[in-house]
Amino acid sequence: MSQSGHLVLCVDDETVGLQVRRLILERSGYKVITALDGKSGLSLFESNPVEAVVLDYAMPGMHGGEVAARMRERKPHVPILLLSAYLGLPPEITKLVNVYMTKGEGAPALLEKLGSLFEN
Amino acid sequence: MLLPIVFLLFVAGLLVWQVRSAEQTVERIQVANQNIATANLISALVVDEETGVRGYQNTSNEIFLQPYEFSIGPLQDAFAKLRSGIAAEHGDQSAIDDLVAAHQQWVTTIAEPMIDTVRNGGNTRDPGANLRGKAALDNIRAINGAIIDTEKQQNAIAVQRWQSQVTHTLYGVVAASLISGVLIGAFARNRLHAVTTAFQSTLLALRDETQITYQSEQRLLATLTSIGEGVVVCSSEGCIELLNSVAEHLTGWSQYEALNLAIHKVFVLVDEAMRDAVENPFDQVKRTNRLTGTLHALLVQREGSVLQIDCSGSPIHDRFGTLLRVVIVFRDVTEQRRTQAALVASEKLAVAGRLAATIAHEIHNPLDAVVNLLYLMKSSSTPEEMQQFIQMASVELDRVTQISRAMLGMYRESRTPVALELKPIVDSVLVLLERQLAKAQISITSVIPDDAIVTGYPAELRQVFTNLISNAAEASAPGSSIEILARLIAAPRGGSPAHPRAGVIVIINDHGTGIAASDLDRLFTPFFTTKGEHGTGLGLWVSQGIIEKHGGNITVESRASSTDQGTTISVFLPRGEAELSTTKADN
Repeated sequence: MSQSGHLVLCVDDETVGLQVRRLILERSGYKVITALDGKSGLSLFESNPVEAVVLDYAMPGMHGGEVAARMRERKPHVPILLLSAYLGLPPEITKLVNVYMTKGEGAPALLEKLGSLFEN
Repeated sequence: MLLPIVFLLFVAGLLVWQVRSAEQTVERIQVANQNIATANLISALVVDEETGVRGYQNTSNEIFLQPYEFSIGPLQDAFAKLRSGIAAEHGDQSAIDDLVAAHQQWVTTIAEPMIDTVRNGGNTRDPGANLRGKAALDNIRAINGAIIDTEKQQNAIAVQRWQSQVTHTLYGVVAASLISGVLIGAFARNRLHAVTTAFQSTLLALRDETQITYQSEQRLLATLTSIGEGVVVCSSEGCIELLNSVAEHLTGWSQYEALNLAIHKVFVLVDEAMRDAVENPFDQVKRTNRLTGTLHALLVQREGSVLQIDCSGSPIHDRFGTLLRVVIVFRDVTEQRRTQAALVASEKLAVAGRLAATIAHEIHNPLDAVVNLLYLMKSSSTPEEMQQFIQMASVELDRVTQISRAMLGMYRESRTPVALELKPIVDSVLVLLERQLAKAQISITSVIPDDAIVTGYPAELRQVFTNLISNAAEASAPGSSIEILARLIAAPRGGSPAHPRAGVIVIINDHGTGIAASDLDRLFTPFFTTKGEHGTGLGLWVSQGIIEKHGGNITVESRASSTDQGTTISVFLPRGEAELSTTKADN
């Protein structure tokens, strides 16, 4: 259950959703930092030893695909989990990230997929 | 034509010449007669002279000498007269010279010596002198007789000439009459022939023309009958004169039954939405005296069912502009409307499709949060935490409800138009578009007065505003703004052409790329799109249809200067008659 304090960056423009996701991850033992848009997410990503990213796709200004691409340029080894309310994102976006899942699949699924990123 | 006249003139000239020469001949006869008379007078006077001399010789009485003396003067006159008479005939003057000389000889050698002898009392009984006297007188008589014979001869010749002239004239007149008669006859025949030919050709031309007219009439009639549109022709009083077969079929009246019936009985129109009677195109033509535009209405058929038609009326004038007839042309557009309805429905689905992203986001995000909150609540939590989670879940579910209501409002049809406040309508559209606009980083300001009320169908108006605001957003660059502004329009006195009624103008103004001038004309035609595969090309067409159905209108202006770019769309919607319900319907 405990994920021994991996530092996870959560980026989502949904305040409530972000807050709830943070609570879930923290209860599972992750350390969580959050950002409400792509730009501040990227700066946190650069300034912190982030071990994984949980990224929302649909955000104003810069969408998740773009954010993921920039993160890959900076630190290609950091795994990224892309969340989206949309079904069926184009492959050029999904292939950028390690895991792609849709919102609404529930917390256990999220925790399981995030955990799998650290098993490798 | 000219020939007989010339000929007649010639004949007349000939006659005049003939008459003139006859007159001359008569003159010559008269001269000859006169000369004969004069010659006879000379004979008588010579006898008188002789008688006078002989009497004086016998009696020696001067009284007996009187005839001689009295004859001397007249005899000289007679000689002169005879001389001029013969001269007039260009006759031989020597005869008269001989006569005068013979007489003079008789006077000087016989008469005068005899008279002197008697006066002197001499012997007058000289037989020699008497014989000489007789011989001299015989000579005179012979000469005079010859003159008389000559004149008689002249006379006879002239008479004969005159007779022959008269005969010639007679023949000439008869011949001229005959020839001119023949000529006039020929001329008349010629003229008659020409008239006959002209008449015949006129008759033929007339027959050809009648034939052509008949054929063209048949052709027009066939065209009229086989034309795909209904055609009704009525008199200026509104009596049916003709229904073509399509019109017979569409109205349910046959030409035979409808003939002379009132147009209002055969061609009954009602309003599409309200089923109220609408102005017949016939009345409109009579009122305006010119072509009507295309009218959309329902045609009530004879047996009571209705058809959707497009119709128009046009006047037929005579040369003086008096209305003779009215022609109404109409067409069944039921099928076309059905196709249009299908297109409208497909556009509605396309709008839904375009909103799918928003729907997914707006519903999935709060649902995800709620699911996660439930997960947290199931695992151990403090009561305070539980309270907080429940509060958060409730806020998120409210969001879902709001979205689903907005979506429902988009599709729930209302059957009759109702009074609507525009502000909540536009706001609900903005709720749905919020995500899309935020994503494109476009800010929206909306200033709509609370009393901006129109009559209409809420779902359709939401569709219109969704379409117009989405278009504006798609044309806008990130960071730009869209302004929505509404203002009330009071009913102008007498009505203005653009906004004849009270209502609301909604202006949607963007600062996007604008619209190319070449595209402006085609904006409202179906399947016209500038968005490639992302657009159906039906949005503005459907929006315009909805706005016009509401009795409003939509205009587009595009600015493309270097300082100011963008598009302004103005939508006018009339206030209408519907009462605003006091209990707020959840739009």
